Formats: sequence, structure tokens, C-alpha cells
Amino acid sequence: MRTSSWRTMFRSPLVVIVLVVLVWFVATFLVMPNATLLISTFFPDGRISFRALEKLVSSERALNSLWHSFALAATLAVTVNVVGIFIVLVTDYFQIRGSRVLWLGYATTLIYGGIVLAAGYNFIYGRYGFITNAVRNVFPDIDPNWFSGYFAVVLVMTLATTTNHMLFLGSSLAKIDYQTIEAARNMGASTWRILWRIVLPALRPMIFAVTVLTFLTGLGALTAPLVLGGTDFQTIAPMILTFSKSSGSRDLAALLAIILGLATIVLLAMMNRVEKSGTYFSVAKVATPLQKQRIRNPLANAIVHVVAYVLFVVYALPVLLIVLFSFLEATAISTGTITWDAFTLANYATVFGTPSVLKPFVVSVVYSALASLIVVLGMLFVARVFQKHRNPVTSLLEYLLHIPWILPTILIALALVMTFDRPNPLIGGQVLTGTTVLLLVAYVIIKIPFTLRLLKAAFASVPESLEDAARILGAGPLFTLRTVLVPLVLPTAAAITALNFNSLLDDYDTAVFLYHPLYEPLGLAIRASTEGENNLDAMSITFVYTVLLMIIMGFTMWLVYGRGGAQGRRRGLRRGGRRGSAGPVAAVPVVAVPVAAAAAAPVPPERATPAP
Amino acid sequence: MHKRTIKTASVATIILSSMVLASCASAEAGGDGGGDAGGTLIVYTNSNGDGRGEWVTAQAAEAGIDIEIVGLGGADLANRIVAEKNNPVGDVVFGLNNMFFETLKDEEAVTAYEPAWAAEVDQESGDPEDGVFWPLVEQAIVTVYDSNTVTDAPTEMSDLWEDAAYDGRYEVNTALGQATPQLVLAGLLAPYLDEDGDLGVSDEGWVQVEAYFAHGSPAEEGTDLYARITRGDVDFGVLPSSGITARDAEYGTVTGVISPTDGVPYVTEQVAMITGTPRQDAAEEFIDWFGSAETQGAFAAEFASYPVNEEARAEALPEVVELIESLPKQDIDFALTRENIGAWVEKTELEYLP
Repeated sequence: MRTSSWRTMFRSPLVVIVLVVLVWFVATFLVMPNATLLISTFFPDGRISFRALEKLVSSERALNSLWHSFALAATLAVTVNVVGIFIVLVTDYFQIRGSRVLWLGYATTLIYGGIVLAAGYNFIYGRYGFITNAVRNVFPDIDPNWFSGYFAVVLVMTLATTTNHMLFLGSSLAKIDYQTIEAARNMGASTWRILWRIVLPALRPMIFAVTVLTFLTGLGALTAPLVLGGTDFQTIAPMILTFSKSSGSRDLAALLAIILGLATIVLLAMMNRVEKSGTYFSVAKVATPLQKQRIRNPLANAIVHVVAYVLFVVYALPVLLIVLFSFLEATAISTGTITWDAFTLANYATVFGTPSVLKPFVVSVVYSALASLIVVLGMLFVARVFQKHRNPVTSLLEYLLHIPWILPTILIALALVMTFDRPNPLIGGQVLTGTTVLLLVAYVIIKIPFTLRLLKAAFASVPESLEDAARILGAGPLFTLRTVLVPLVLPTAAAITALNFNSLLDDYDTAVFLYHPLYEPLGLAIRASTEGENNLDAMSITFVYTVLLMIIMGFTMWLVYGRGGAQGRRRGLRRGGRRGSAGPVAAVPVVAVPVAAAAAAPVPPERATPAP
Repeated sequence: MHKRTIKTASVATIILSSMVLASCASAEAGGDGGGDAGGTLIVYTNSNGDGRGEWVTAQAAEAGIDIEIVGLGGADLANRIVAEKNNPVGDVVFGLNNMFFETLKDEEAVTAYEPAWAAEVDQESGDPEDGVFWPLVEQAIVTVYDSNTVTDAPTEMSDLWEDAAYDGRYEVNTALGQATPQLVLAGLLAPYLDEDGDLGVSDEGWVQVEAYFAHGSPAEEGTDLYARITRGDVDFGVLPSSGITARDAEYGTVTGVISPTDGVPYVTEQVAMITGTPRQDAAEEFIDWFGSAETQGAFAAEFASYPVNEEARAEALPEVVELIESLPKQDIDFALTRENIGAWVEKTELEYLP
């Protein structure tokens, strides 16, 4: 696996082709456009300009916001782990009554995020939320603004970003060697001791990985601080958004995004180092399926049940509320006076009454499906090559493929428009600006880092002996890849495809500059129907679209996880999770969200990690 | 083994170059929107909300012009047009305010064309020097309150932040990337222009901006100003005048407007042809039709706008005409504002926002 020899690398024609295509793609679509834009930004007259840095350092507000973003990220790294590990244990490790239902409740964060999620919580606990009102009827002295600032943002984002734990930690848990647990129990270890000394240590690599993810989601937090942060707790993402839209301030936007991007890379490097120093042998080679553990202490059992169900209610309420609100008149929602008369189908009538309402759905489904398939297909080869051949060239390429995590989506989109507005020899003299293909290219680009990280980790978990066996039996490299390796990583690939698909469906930031006028994607259609000075039903219509999106995304997730009932889900998870089991280094899918991208997106680009 | 490697290599080539092939194929398929002189006219606008886009499309079709509306927010739209200027996708743009059009003109992204109705509008509202863009609709950016509940409305805007009685009672929009907040900022700074000051504004001007944001209540993402007024969060807030009628109907408010002696900022929505459009004839036809007294009159009657076209004004709603004519126009140098607004926004964002 550590073949770093150049000769072996270039001996295989498959690898050579992959590398050639990759170098072409990276140079054409990642390096050239962004480098051009950044050079014109930071070297306005051919000389380096420190204007942005000076502005940033002299702005108390910017430094405060930056500090808030980092504080939020650090806090989330702790809180999300606590809640995330708890829900994974409750749904997959302990015997809890109705754990399937609980799983569904906790999984709601998979299908919605962004402004709708933040608004949903605000409608419940905010100043005019019904819980606040109910409590104030009993205790009138309570501050109606209690749910705002740092505390509220942390709470909402903690609950919103446990998705990664559910998908990735849940799958790691499933493949823990059950025999170790049984052995420990036979030796008289208590439930807690087993958990603390065996289960959690075995999960450590994956916990590191999702911690990185969580940290990055926190850095890029946009809508939750906007809605719930109040004046005391604003983060840096809205500022990046404003600045990246003004040509004079673009250097500031890029600088801020790069600061967040560097933090990403430093954290990734640190996690890699920590992981290298540890050994994780407690993972099963021959899996005995994990059996759910009963909590023997009745009091503890009761407490865990209560907490699990309270969490379930907290998770499920906003979703129910959004579905409910999609049937309400806008004024009833915004003024907080809900009566029976306020229920209406008018919002749905408005959405479905719009001429050609279906077309944006079709356009977005096609774009998202194409982009997520292309990116997974392409990255299957790339990840394989990277994982098998480690040398300076492949590491450089790997770093370059992470550019979309470092720059805000808006800048990437603008760079593409401006680079491909004239015939370009690198793409055979084509002009891409104003064609349908440029948006597809952008969608593929922004999904590369997430896809690559997870796929690379998935490949790393495939035992080398399988490949050796195939080679000895005379299989060629592509045949091995197709019949031996791909099936093993297929569950992961399918899950990534679904997550990418979901997150691209309602994209706005990329599409706004790139979409072809005759093919309007959904994100734009939603924005168009909710904008306008006189459009007072904007929030209700957003809710209607959210409900429709939830249906599509729910269906996608069902295709990946749900078919064949719960057994299928478990099997999928377990197999998908095997990626974490091979070596201590490569075993960890070091996943991260596009910080800058999330920062610039009203609706988070990674559905797996909604940054509300 | 050798044969097999060649085979695998070719298969890999096919799969991996699918991106390339796909791009070429769909580039050709998608090219039909951009190159030829015939086909649908692509109309860029930020004024497509509230059913305006559908209305314009339908009316244009009746007049025999086949158009496709591309609706984006003001700042996004201007950015997109500038980014596309070497290979324009749109043919006509309307609805953006003077400030955005000054930017487009500066970037040479729009081209001069004298419409058939040029004589019916006040040139001063558009681009009197070069005639690149032409005025359609006028709007006042006003500070509103509900006269049912507010009895102590000030007469000057500055009272809001200088008088402690109004502390925290007015909404300030902090989303400075958007057009209306930028106009508010321009209006705040307009009396304090000073070549020697920071970014062309005297210190006193920046003190005003600081106080304005410090004493206001920041707008809530996703909550309409009138919802906040109705539930008593705030008493005052800024709104483009065309939004008043619909809100009074929806919320049962009776809107009062602060009318300062210096006037309120006015914006004029303009129309222009995008540079390098292959469908120049259709674009001219559309501009001639859309800005005509007849179309603007019908548009005003339908969407409570205040047309610049004097003949069309007869069709405008009486209450709209009354309101607009009661509000003096603040003197704002839009060419100068356009040059500086980016820097002003940046400074405000970095130093003064709450």
C-alpha cells in the first residue's frame, strides 16, 4: 500500500491516464480560474497589496466576528460529540424501546437545514415562539429573549450537525468486535466500563474525523447566527458573503475565507498526526454482529430513555412545525397568532399555480444527479490512485483538489464565468460561459473535496490481501477495480452520491452566476418566488418548497439506506463503515466541510453537515 | 497481459473522458441560447417578484415579443452581467437602480440606444450625458411607521438616533450587500460629502452612520418589517415606497411616512441594452415597447409603481402619485455615490455595524 516508487506508478497505463486527465482537469478548472482571480485581487497593479490585511486587523468588528466563528467551532467540537455519540449509542448500541422511531427523529437533520432550520427553532423557542409564550404565561418574569446569542446558536447548531455522527459514527459502531465486549462482560466489567474502555476507544478514529467536520461547520456558520445570534454573537460568514459580492472588497472576502481555509488544513494535519501516533486494534477482522446492550441499572436505564425521548421531541418539533406552517397564512406565522381560520392551502396553490413550476425541479434533479454521479465516478479512480501511490505529485494534486474548501463558492463561480468567456485552448477552444455545461462543471468542482476524502478512506479500508489475490489470479487493474474494489466501496459511494445530490438540489450561490437562462434551477426558482417587496408570503412559500425538498431528499436517502427495510440500512451502514477499519492512518476518513463554501451559502452546501 | 492492459487503458479513457465529452456535447446543445440572432430574447431583471416577471412575459408575448425573464437580486445581477461581459448571455436588463447602471456603464456592459419614448421621460433621471440607460419607474426610499400606534413620529430622520426617545425603536437593515440598505447609507452620507474626509466623507458623516446603526434594532433575517411593527418590536423602518400599499392591506396598518426637509433618497429603475447582444433588433423592440406610455401605464396600474414616463403617470394609482409627489427628492450625486459605495459599505461593515 505504500508503493511510492515512481516507476510502478507510471508502469500502469490506467494510472497514467487517470493522472493525465486529472492534471488537465485540475489545471483547467481549479488552478487557472482561481489563480487568475486571486492574482488580480491581491496584486491589483502587479504589486502585492496588504490593503485587505490592514483593513482586517484594524476592524474590531471583523476580528470579533472571526473570534466568534472560532469559538463556535471549538464549542461545537465538544457539544456535537456529546449529543452525537449519545444518539448513536441510543439508536445503535443500547436496547432502547422504539429506537427505530428515535432514529427517524434524529435523522430529520439529514433532510433540511439552513435558514428553514434556524427559523423553525426560532418559531418554537424564540421571542415569539410558542414554548416561550407558554412558559411566560406561567412565569411572566422570564426574559422573552432568552433564546438568543451564543447559547442559542450553539444549541441549534449542535442539534443540526449530528448528521455526521449518525451516518459515519453509526457505521463504525456497527463493526466493533462484539467478542471483545462479551469477553469484557464475562470478566465482570460494568456497562459504563465497557463503553468507556472498549467501545469509545474503538470509535476514536471516526470521532476525530467527525470532530474535524463539526469544527469546520462551526467556522462556516451563516444562518443560525444571523437568525439567533442577536447583536452579541455574529460570525464572520455574513461578512464574507457581503464582501465577495462587491468587486472592491473581494480581497477582504478572499482573505477571510483563506484564514478559515488555513485553519481547516492545520486541523486536518493535527488530526492526522494524532491518529498516526495511536493504534486501533479493537476492530473486528471477522465480524460478530454487534448485539444491543441492555442498561442494567434501572435508574440509569430510565434516565437514558427519558433523555433520548426528550431529544427526539426537540429534533422532531421543528420539522413538524415547518410542515404545519406550510399550511398557514403568512401573517399568522409572522405575528404568532395561529387560529383555525389561518389554515390554508393557498401556499401550495401559489407554488403549484406558478407556470411551469415543475421545470426547475427537473432541471435541478438532472444537474444534481449528473454532477454527483460524475464526481463520484471520477473520484473513484482518483482516490484509488492517490491511496495506492503516494509521492509528491499525488500529494500536490490532492491538495489542489481541496481548493473548493478554501475559497467561497461565489468566488469560484465568478472565476469560472470570467475564465471561460472566451475560446480556451485547454478545453479545445470552447466557450463555456452562457452554456448549460458551466454549472455542471461548477457542481462537480465544489463536490470534489468531500467525495475524495470519503472515497479515499473507503479504499484504504479494503484489505490489501483481496487485491493481491485478484492479481495472483490474473485479473487486470481495471478488472480488479471493477469487480473487487468497487463493490466493497459501493455503499460509501452510494451514500456520498446521495448526500451530494441532496445538497446540490437547492443550491443558489453557484447557480446564480452560472445557470443558463432557459434552464433555471430550483434554488433560483425558490428565491424568485420568495423575493419581492410585496411578497409577504415569502416564509410560507419557503416552507412549502422545504416540504417538497424534504420529500425528494427523504426519497433519495431511502434509496440509499432504506430499501429492504431496516436490515438493509444496517447492512449498508456496516459495510459502508468498514472504511474506518484498516490501518490506523488511512482508516480515518478525514472529512471536512467546505468551510468557505458553507460560509457563503445561505443553504449549506453539504447536506450531511447542515450549517444552519 | 499486454492486451489486457491496452483494453483496460481504453476503457478507462472512455470513462474518464466522459467529463470532457459531456462538456463538449452539452456545450453545443446549450449554445443555442447564446449565439444566434433569432430565438428568445433574454431579459435580465431584479424586478420580477410579486408576479411582475410573469406579467411582463405575457404582455410582451401579446405584443409579439418572445422573452425569457432571468430574475436575480440586484447585486447578484449586476455582478453576473459584468462577469459575462465578454460573452453576454442576456440581451436587455431592466429594474436595476441608477447606481448599478452606473457600474454597468462604467464596465461597458451596457450600450447606448435611444428609445422611441425618449422624449416622454425626464432625461435627468437616467443618463443625460450618454443616453446609455433610460428611466422607467421611480421609487422613494422612505422611513415608515404605523400611524395607528405611533403618534410621536419625528420630522427629521436624524431625530431617530439623536433623540433617546427613539432608541432601539427603528429597524436598521444590516445586509449592506443589498440595494435598499446601500441607498439608505448613500442618503445618510450625501449631506456630508467632503473631499478631505475619509473616503470623501467628513468625520461628522461617519458619526451619523455610527449613531444610526448603534441606536437601531437590526433587521431579523426572514421577518418582514411590518410583522415586527405589528407585534411591537419596532416602530419605524425603511421601505421602498412601492411596498406600502400591499403591506397596509395585509397587516391592517395605516402607513405614515417621515418626510424630512432635505427630502428622501429616490431611486430610478432603468432599462438598457446589454453590450454585444446578437439580438439587437429584438432588444430595441422590447425597450421601445416596455418603456412606452401604454405599457408603463398598465404596469403602474397593476403593480402600484410610479412611472417616469409622464404620459403613463395618468394610469398610476392616485395614492401612489399623491405619496410620491408629497415627498421631496434628496439631492444625491449618484455618479459619485457609485464610485464610492463599495468603499463606504466596506467601512461601515468593518467598523459601524452592530
